[in-house]
Amino acid sequence: MISYSITSAIIGGTIGLSILYLIRQDRLRAPYAVWWMIVALAVILLGLFPQLVDLIASRLGVHYPPILVVIVALGLLLLKILTMDIERTKQEQQLRRLTQRIALLEAKLKELESENKV
Amino acid sequence: MKSKQRDLIVIIPAHEEEASVGEVVTRVCKLGFPVVVIDDASSDGTAKAAEAAGALVITLNNRLGAWMAAQTGLHYAYERGFKIAVTLDADGQHAPEAIEILLRPLYAREADVVIGSCLSRLSSCRRFAGYFFRKLTGLAIQDITSGFRAYNHMALAALIRKEASLLDYQDLGVLLHLHHAGFVIREVSVPMNPRRNGKSRIFSSWWEVVRYLVATGILGLAKRT
Repeated sequence: MISYSITSAIIGGTIGLSILYLIRQDRLRAPYAVWWMIVALAVILLGLFPQLVDLIASRLGVHYPPILVVIVALGLLLLKILTMDIERTKQEQQLRRLTQRIALLEAKLKELESENKV
Repeated sequence: MKSKQRDLIVIIPAHEEEASVGEVVTRVCKLGFPVVVIDDASSDGTAKAAEAAGALVITLNNRLGAWMAAQTGLHYAYERGFKIAVTLDADGQHAPEAIEILLRPLYAREADVVIGSCLSRLSSCRRFAGYFFRKLTGLAIQDITSGFRAYNHMALAALIRKEASLLDYQDLGVLLHLHHAGFVIREVSVPMNPRRNGKSRIFSSWWEVVRYLVATGILGLAKRT
């Protein structure tokens, strides 16, 4: 049986390498990758030093330390998803405006062309 | 009246309305108003039928929904300097001849926005929705879903802002947007025909109704006056 810290270090390392790979392949923009790199680092750090969680949990008055990790992770994920939806809303708005813009320009172009023919 | 007709443009958002859009355009043209049909990415002959009947057609590349199509028309109207824009549905339920009734409060400067509503057409479901939204938002308007509306130039300028590009229907969200901007909204009663083909897109199925009510409810709650 390998130790818990090696397992989580491998998970963290895999996440980190995957992010770097995705950026290298131009499938992920660097600004988005910052978040995921932080996640990878946190997994490695907490995996190598699980006593960190115990220390923080006892300071915060949490009696069962592993649940702190779960709660914080869930909270951060919710935050991440919410910001993604905010971003999506902005993109939807831009896409709608662009679609309108193109349609209006096309109409104008058609008008100009028919005027020139006459 | 004739001199005023040059300042007014009729905007018809249309999605898959091949069967009825031509007749609506013809009737508007008879009144002497310029017509622009916004073809909301229809796959049928909507654009052709509208063009053949004498409308200018603006085609959207992807489907954006009735309000965004109408907003495209409002953009066009604003850029071309039209003073008043009237929107009406392509399915023939709004009689173009009733535009005159809509314009009276605008010309009398009693309102910036006029909604043509037909209360007798409202089903009990719509009546309840209307009551619910009136209570929720504090807007005193009976027929919030009517797409038969007249906007003056100032309201046009407010409606083409990008904040209004996140709305999906020409209903409560648009009215709240106008209300917050300080515009006076009036409702006038107009006769309406039953829809000849197809049904309302909003009230097409129970699931759609629930979705619409919840989404509009949240919007109304967030933006209540």
